[in-house]
Order: sequence, then C-alpha cells, then structure tokens
Amino acid sequence: MKAKPAAAPRPSRTRARARARTTSIAAFVVLAALVPTTASASGTQQVEAELPYVCTLPSGPLPATVRVSAEFPERASAGEPFTPSGVTTTVELPDQAVADLAARDAAGVRAATRLGVGVAQNAATATATWRGSAEPVALPESGPLTLVTKGDVPSVAGRGDGDLTFSAGALAIDLALESADGTATDAATAGPGSLTVDCALAEDAPGQGLLATVPVGTGTAAPSGSPSSPSPSGPAGTSGAPDDGQSDAPGDREAERQSERSPKVLENTPGTAADRDEVPPCRYDEQHPPTDVSLNAYVTGYANVKKMKGAAYLPPSCVLIEQGIPVPGPPDPDYLIFDTVSYANFHYQERRQTPPFEATFLSFDFAPVKATMVLEQTDTMRIDSRMKMSMTDFSTTTDTYVRAPLVLHVLDLEVNGTPLDVGSECRTETSLTSEDPDPANFPGDHLVLYGRGELLIGQPATGYLLLSGGVLSGEATIPAFTGCGTDGEDLDRLLTASVSGPGNLIKQVQGQTCAIAAPVFPSPANEGQCTEDLQPYEIPVAEH
Amino acid sequence: MKKSMRRSALVVCAAASALGLAAAPSMAAPSTVWTVNPSPANFQATNVGNIVLTATIPMTCTVSNAAGSMASATGNPGDVADITTMNFGASGSPCTSVLGNVTTTSVTPWDVVGVDYTASTGVTKGYVGNVKANVTAGACKFTVTGKASGTYTNSTGILAINSTAGELVVTNPVNCGAIVTTATKPTFKGNYAVKVAGSSVIPTIVGSNP
Repeated sequence: MKAKPAAAPRPSRTRARARARTTSIAAFVVLAALVPTTASASGTQQVEAELPYVCTLPSGPLPATVRVSAEFPERASAGEPFTPSGVTTTVELPDQAVADLAARDAAGVRAATRLGVGVAQNAATATATWRGSAEPVALPESGPLTLVTKGDVPSVAGRGDGDLTFSAGALAIDLALESADGTATDAATAGPGSLTVDCALAEDAPGQGLLATVPVGTGTAAPSGSPSSPSPSGPAGTSGAPDDGQSDAPGDREAERQSERSPKVLENTPGTAADRDEVPPCRYDEQHPPTDVSLNAYVTGYANVKKMKGAAYLPPSCVLIEQGIPVPGPPDPDYLIFDTVSYANFHYQERRQTPPFEATFLSFDFAPVKATMVLEQTDTMRIDSRMKMSMTDFSTTTDTYVRAPLVLHVLDLEVNGTPLDVGSECRTETSLTSEDPDPANFPGDHLVLYGRGELLIGQPATGYLLLSGGVLSGEATIPAFTGCGTDGEDLDRLLTASVSGPGNLIKQVQGQTCAIAAPVFPSPANEGQCTEDLQPYEIPVAEH
Repeated sequence: MKKSMRRSALVVCAAASALGLAAAPSMAAPSTVWTVNPSPANFQATNVGNIVLTATIPMTCTVSNAAGSMASATGNPGDVADITTMNFGASGSPCTSVLGNVTTTSVTPWDVVGVDYTASTGVTKGYVGNVKANVTAGACKFTVTGKASGTYTNSTGILAINSTAGELVVTNPVNCGAIVTTATKPTFKGNYAVKVAGSSVIPTIVGSNP
C-alpha cells in the first residue's frame, strides 16, 4: 500500500502530516460503535402501527393485536447510522390466553418481547431484533391481557440511496409467570414456570407489517409510510448502491460480509446482542475438522487503551476450543480438586485472528482518527481450569486462566478522512502481555485473562465457566509498535507514544459454547447451545 | 417391606438434610392395595425449590417438571404412576454446575413406586424407579440409571425425592475424565408439587392391607 494523497485540498503535505501526528497522539477516545448515532435531518417521524398477529398459546393459535410505536428520522444520509427511539411494543392477548395462563396457576406475568424487524433497501435486506421488557403485571380475571414492553433497539445505516423500510415480522413473547404469592418462578422458588409464545404476522396485515419508511440520500422522496416491499427488480439505478468507499480495503475485509450492500444493522446498542448475520461464521470445516471434544463460542468485549482514556470494542469473534479432560489435581485435605487444560484458537477466514475492528478516536482539534486493527495469535491459546470442591460445605469453584499470545496488528489508520499508510506489517513487537500468576510454568509473552465460576450447594452456578461462558478480565501491557509506515515515514514512534504502555484493562464476555459431538439445540426444555449448523447459539453482549 | 432410609455420609446429603426426610419406621403391615385418587388420571409436577443432582460435583436445576399418568395398583411394591415426561432445566433456565451448564435428557417412562404407607401422616415412602437419563456438559457425556428414594405426602402433594448414594449408577462416561466415572454415585434430591393435570387438585395415594 502506497501513501495516498488526500482527496481534499490541503495547504501542504508537511502541515497535514503534522496535524495527523498531533491528532494521533491526542486521544483514542471513542469506538466507532459508540459514536453517537444521529440522523442528519433534524425532523423525526412518529410511527404508530397496529398489526394483527396470530399467537400460539397452549390452547392453540389465537388472534392478537400488536401495536408498535417508535420514532424514526424523517430521512437519513447514506452510510449514516440512526437508531429508532422510544420503541414500545404493546401486545393484546385475548381472553383465552388469560385462561391458559390461569390454568398454569399464574397470578401475574412478566413479559419480554423479541420482534423481528425486516430492514430493506432496494433489493437488499437485513434483520434486526427489537427487544423489549415489561414490568410485572397482574393477570386479569378475564381478557384481554395487555403487555407493554420497551427497550433499546439496534442502529441501522442504509448503504446507499433509496428508501429504507422497516417491517414487523415474527414476534416471540417470553412470559415469566408469577404465582399468587407474588414470587417469580426464578432461582429458588417454584411456581407456574415460564412460557414463550410465538406469534406470526397475520396474513391480512396491512402493508405486510410495514412500520416506517426512511428515505436515505438526496435522490429519494418517497412518502413516509408508503409500502415499498423489496423487489429484485427494483430501481436499477439505485439497487446495490456502493458502500462507503472501502473498495481499497485489505483482503481481510473484502469477504467479511455475505451481503455487503445490505442495510447495515449496527447491533451495538449496549446490552443488545448482535444479529447472527452481523457476526462472522463460527463453524468447523474441512481445514478444521471437529473432534469429539470440540467446542465453539463467540467472545466479545472491550479493551481499554489507558493512554487514550478510551475503549476499543472487539466485535463478536469466533473461538474454536478443544475441551480438556479433567484429571485429579494436587491432594488437599480440605478440597477435592480437578484440573483441566483446554486449548483454543480464534477462527476468522481460516486465520487465527479476530475479525478486523475499528476504533475511532477523537482529537482535541476535532480531527477524528480511525484505526482498523486485528488481534493475531502467535501461538495456540491455553485455558487452565481448576475446579475445587470444599469437603465441608460442598461449595464448588472453578478458576480459569486463559493465556493468549496475541499481537495487535494495525491494518489502516485514517486521520480526518486522510489515510496514513501504515503498511502491511504494522504490529506490536510482541504479544500483548500480562503479569502471569505462574510465570515459572508459563514463560513468554502472552495476555492473561481470568474468570471464576462458583456454585453454592442448591444454588445456580454464577460467574465464568469455560463451557457456559461469562466474563473474563485482565490487564494488558501494549508493547511498542514496529513496521508501521512506508515511504520513509516512520509511524512506529507515533503509535508507540500514543498507545503502548501498561495498565490497559480488558473485559471480554464469552458466550455459551456449542459442543459439536453433543449439541444441544434450543427447545422448550433446553437452553439452546448450538444452531442447526453447529455454530454457537449464543452471541454474547459486550459489557463495560 | 420396610426400608430404612439412612443418611449417607456422602457429599450430597448435606443438601438432603434440608429436605427433612425422617425415617420413622412404620408399625403397620406392608400395604398391598394402593388407592390413588383420582384414578386413573394424568398428573403434572413442578419443582418446589431447586433440584440438586450430583455426579461427584453438585448441579443445580432451578426449573424441573414432570408429567405422566397415575392409577390405583396392588402388590408391594406398588407401581402407582408412570412418569412420561421428566425435564430438568428449561429454555432460559438451564441446570448449572461449575463444569458448565448441564443438559439432562430423560429416557422415560420412569415409575413411581409405593413401598410403605403411614396412615397417621398420609405419607407414602417409596422410590422413583426405572430412572434413565443421558447427561451432557460440553463434551462430557454419561448415562445415569437406577432408582431414587422418596416420599409422597397427601396433605401437601409434595413428592420429595432424596436418593441415597448407590441407588443411581453411571454408565458409559465419555470425556468426563476423573470427575465422572463408572464409580461415581450420582444422587437426585428435590421436591415436586404434584397436581392432577390441568387443575389445582392434589392427588392422594393411600396404602392398605385388607
């Protein structure tokens, strides 16, 4: 990659470079994912849609009315993300549904909704899940039962010009039933249980569930609310509009998305899981055939960059794991101990690395700095788990250390829209490092992440466990950078000065693993662990 | 047949003691006629409190439910009910352990068998028999078979399962290493509220020796 002249006029190369350097040193502050998502137009449209649904209750399919209200921008620019706000989903279930719940001894109910929303632009489509939750309500003596849920929903960006339409699709209602004494049927209490009610849009729904239309770009002027169902023979001039100028992206990124030009659902609202089509695939293949102890899982989270007083978001990344076989640990008069050593690799396009991720840094002189990076493994990750059971109270704990040799590879750096050519070999000199609790047995540079799971007798397990996931945390030192810059422009010192150093906190959330040889698929009786094609069922949500 | 339900010194009984199963010997002659009311009828059962399963290490299920059919019977032991659905955990509420989430797939029918009835308390002692369940935690898989002792109390409708070590055995453990082997003695402890299916009626079991 050669240095690219800036497209925009600038006073001189020297000055531009000076500004870039200042900017880079200034502050890695905010991630792309956290850039405030605002529509370009100041106007908003308030949407109130009332739609007929058919919900499958224990007694059979019943008609239901679903009202969705939300605020959308009147229009948006191509590539510019916006977030529907004030989303409220109101479900009105008929009398019979009340009888069904009463038959389960329910006196009250706490509802959560998952509404599939189809997002379409020209011939391209994507799906978002709008999640909502409700306060508990008492079950009325007779119907209807009205459930009102609210929640934050994912941001959306149109990739080109054309109307962006939002249509309501399948709705799932998770009902936690409460017994007459007001106790929820969670943890340690018993009661009528829980129920998921699946609802489908009625065939005669107006506009096939259309909620809103947001014109994107300058060339469209479709009236709000007009049904414009996606059609393969849509306007040829706008179909497949180019995306946001990433045609010079490195090969890494080119095949990242199966539908690059689909409207992008930015599932980055804190606390919201990514949609499956927005995460890279995570499955074993011919190059990586599974064994009978193979697992896969997604991991996502944040890594603070202390010098920049900011955090970088690692999007859900696939990890392939070989689960170890527990062996007796050291003898202990007070504990029964088992040790397990498992091994793991990131898996992205047949490489042992994360997907590329972007971080946007804001500088004091207003120039945004955008870096695209990957974490690359230099060796297999090792996972040591020690399970201990107290012989007195039978409490059990599992301490897990993940040792990951990972270098940070900077693929692209852009200052105020102007690319700074970092070259193809811009990396940290060594792996990110942590203080290892057992340096004698684990020499060498590697990141250490730690998690603990525990179970008190009779209570559910809490915390991190390799099989079921949870939060792993650690603290990294970012080594100096090397190989950064071309054409005699050495960016090593710049990056090292602005990024490298100790005390960078890392918090990663691992999802439930899928065991390939013993897959657990979602069912009423089982929490899903695997998709039908043996990918991890759970896409975890990053936590700060 | 009188069965003394001794407390085992093993691990799991720490939990069992909370369930308050007392082994008071009955002085009456063994029951040979088991009168179930209503009979025949379907029943459903839902856990009251958490269910604790152990296979060396404890596992906790916050949700467990059962369903099947019940009918009066004769003989001792007397098979008063068949459990045709037996779930441990539910979507959103998996059974957990420090190994990770545990998935249990029951191979039914299981039986509910009466052995001893105390008229003064309305309590039937017996066991859940023909137990078979396939258990997985990640790549670790094993099968549990056998029986689990328990009691049924007419006044409360509570089926209290409190198996003792040795009643259940492990077969075919795979990838579980030292944690679960064929020498492991699993246990099953927990209370279920039994109702006549689709109602809030508590069924009763009465043993007699005409």
